[in-house]
Amino acid sequence: MVDNAAIRALRTMDLIPYILENPGISIGSLAVKFSVTEKQVENDLQLIFMCGLPGYTPYELIDIVFEDGVVSVIDPQVLDKPRRFNKSELIVIALGLQILIEINKSKPAQLAKLQALSKKISKLGSSNLITFNPLATNSVFLDLIVKAISEKKHLEIQYNSLIKDKKTRRAIDPQSLYFLNGNLYLSAFDLDVRSDRVFKVDLIEDCSVIDFKDHNNSSEPTKLFEVVLDVKKSHRNFIERNSSVISSSQEKGDRFEVHIQISNIEWLKRSILSNAPGITVTSPSLFASELVESANSVLALYQA
Amino acid sequence: MSSQKTERLINLTLALLATKRYLTKSEIFKNVTGYSGSPETMERMFERDKDELRSMGVEIEVKGLDSLFEDDQGYLIRTETFQLNGNEFASDELLYLTMAANLWHDSALSNDSKGALLKIQSLSGPIEFNVFNSPIVRDNENSQMLATAFEAIEKHKKISFKYNGSQRSVEPLGMFMRSGFWYLVAQDEKVIKSFKLVRIEAKISIEDGVFQKPEGFDLTNYLKKYTEEEVFEAEILVRKDQAYSLRSKHVVKEYDSEWDLMFVPYSYEPEIIEILLWHGQNIIVKKPLSLRNSIVSRLGEFING
Repeated sequence: MVDNAAIRALRTMDLIPYILENPGISIGSLAVKFSVTEKQVENDLQLIFMCGLPGYTPYELIDIVFEDGVVSVIDPQVLDKPRRFNKSELIVIALGLQILIEINKSKPAQLAKLQALSKKISKLGSSNLITFNPLATNSVFLDLIVKAISEKKHLEIQYNSLIKDKKTRRAIDPQSLYFLNGNLYLSAFDLDVRSDRVFKVDLIEDCSVIDFKDHNNSSEPTKLFEVVLDVKKSHRNFIERNSSVISSSQEKGDRFEVHIQISNIEWLKRSILSNAPGITVTSPSLFASELVESANSVLALYQA
Repeated sequence: MSSQKTERLINLTLALLATKRYLTKSEIFKNVTGYSGSPETMERMFERDKDELRSMGVEIEVKGLDSLFEDDQGYLIRTETFQLNGNEFASDELLYLTMAANLWHDSALSNDSKGALLKIQSLSGPIEFNVFNSPIVRDNENSQMLATAFEAIEKHKKISFKYNGSQRSVEPLGMFMRSGFWYLVAQDEKVIKSFKLVRIEAKISIEDGVFQKPEGFDLTNYLKKYTEEEVFEAEILVRKDQAYSLRSKHVVKEYDSEWDLMFVPYSYEPEIIEILLWHGQNIIVKKPLSLRNSIVSRLGEFING
């Protein structure tokens, strides 16, 4: 964004209540928080030294202490509170609260507070024109996982693997939680197989903190398979959902030629079969025959 | 960029914010530092300053102070339109607000998330570390368009984009997220439709002018059609000790030594087929016949290429 005078004026005014609530903050931290350079923060602070209320005596000027790279506010004048949330910020908060309400459905106390807060935010002028449908996320262990990430604790989970169709117990070093395509995922280092893994949180059936296991998080190199698929336009949901493993996708009439690099071949097999006949394998041919064989075995069950 | 102008904008904002009564232009020119030159110059400076602050969302109120003299107008900024009230949120609410805004900090909405977080932390002070390890939202592609779409909806501006190979010019009415994907609800040639954001090619462009929202349109009512679907039931056989993800959601009954019986509700046939075929040889659909036939025909088509 172009830093014009009005943008700079508002940013400079935003600095004051922030520093007031976070006294002794470093210039470096302010630069990161406000997405500007340290030099710019220093310039903004130099500027606000000169500002205040009419009269402009020392009693009416904004007073800040700024030495050894840290800053505190002595007198903010009228800038003792942050500016109100703008419309887009309210939308972001309102959407975030909708997600928090969904993942706290099983906790009545939190749920009531979140719902009340959500109403408060909508009264502040958030839009009711932007919304989303419930997420399918069972979050019984969410608090425990968040705590383990923060405190760098290891977890043992019982995981219901969709791909292997097996329940397994795994010791993991949890790293981060994220929503993607409506699902909540846990990214972790699997201490048993010594590799990074991603788990769907609603498939975690049990979870407990275990003693810290010393390890280094360097994964074993993963072998990637290159597969070329033919995806009908009617099945392009597959491309949209799995963009992270797709190296290229080219539209060819009513289909797409999709190149995939993947380590988890079992997942790809199941995905292709479950989308039959919308996705077929172009290469390698051995993989294509393997899938036809699997489809034949399923079909045989219906013809028995 | 002039520091003097920035300084003047700050001083003007502070003066209008601190005053309990409307300030006239002559009071502003006399008392607020930074206004100098001929009356016309100061007048022009003030008009520009006022417009710039307003364009950044600062609400400057104007009131005629004398009904006989139109020129005698007063200006102020109401605290409640400019600043959050310190008691507006309890401390646990500030924590939830932080978590809510933080969800988007790594997404296409990161600028707004960051802006909101700065304001929340200007009320709460430093937030405990745990909050930043709570989940965040990762974008799927094309969510960069979100900010443009939000703006167009709020400001009732028409937008244009390329969708399914054809150019559309639509009136955006709302947005919703379903199964992790954003959809734009918009009026396209008098028909209200949903557009999956990920299928919009290249970018969304905002057009000139504003449109009138269709009377009676309500996003919640519109979305009901996505939730009020007819529910069917599939009777399926599940191989023993297999298909755990289905077993954790649905009740099973003993069928024979190799199979269990399960009833799975569904609304949309392609969706249930995808779920069932994921389990390959571990599932056989018994009923309804239409679902069973669809699976057989899909597999046949797949095998025969």
